[in-house]
Amino acid sequence: MSTDAQEADDDLKERVSNFLRRNFPQIQMHGGSAAIQGLDRETGEVTIQLGGACSGCGISPMTIQAIKSRMVKEIPEIEIVHADTGMGGGHDGGGGGMSPSFPGDTTEDSDRDEGPQAPF
Amino acid sequence: MAAFDPEKFEDKYVHYFAELQRAYKNAFETMREPYDSDLIHAIDQLVLNESEPFYEDGTFRVELPDDPADRMAGSGVAVDAETLDAALDDYVAEIEAELHRVLGVERDE
Repeated sequence: MSTDAQEADDDLKERVSNFLRRNFPQIQMHGGSAAIQGLDRETGEVTIQLGGACSGCGISPMTIQAIKSRMVKEIPEIEIVHADTGMGGGHDGGGGGMSPSFPGDTTEDSDRDEGPQAPF
Repeated sequence: MAAFDPEKFEDKYVHYFAELQRAYKNAFETMREPYDSDLIHAIDQLVLNESEPFYEDGTFRVELPDDPADRMAGSGVAVDAETLDAALDDYVAEIEAELHRVLGVERDE
């Protein structure tokens, strides 16, 4: 991959990260995480995995739908968003349900982009 | 809270995201009481993640994906079709009730 292409990939990835931080601060504030698992600039596909407390908080389904709906509108290069909590087979739901385990997993530079406060 | 605006609900994930989250979370907590927690957790993560709420003629309606049983197959939670259908019906009804409650919209009977 050329340097230009790499830079364009990095730029798009950063914009996706910033979009998530700016518009969905609840994810981190509730002890969850949103990691970009894959990004294909050619096809406009991005795969996002919600983790941490997101895997059992009862809010994640709505958050996933919101991410899918809004990201394709606000980032023109993104056409398809795959987002889930990675559940399938093994999960740690059970009686407790929640497992806020790795709140800092999301990004490399989480202090850069301020966002609105979570509404609750 | 400002009066509910049906037109804004067209862009619900921008204008009513917090309320939607609250309604879904409240329903999740309520559903964990009468049902097995693993089952509700799996529905939450594997079925509701493709659900979408709509507002029409004074009523909120939640649409589920077409294949909830297939989606649940990957959860590791054993559930018969009858129990799943009943849980889904209850869950959807609870979310719809919560949407009315959280958004302050009285149901049209």
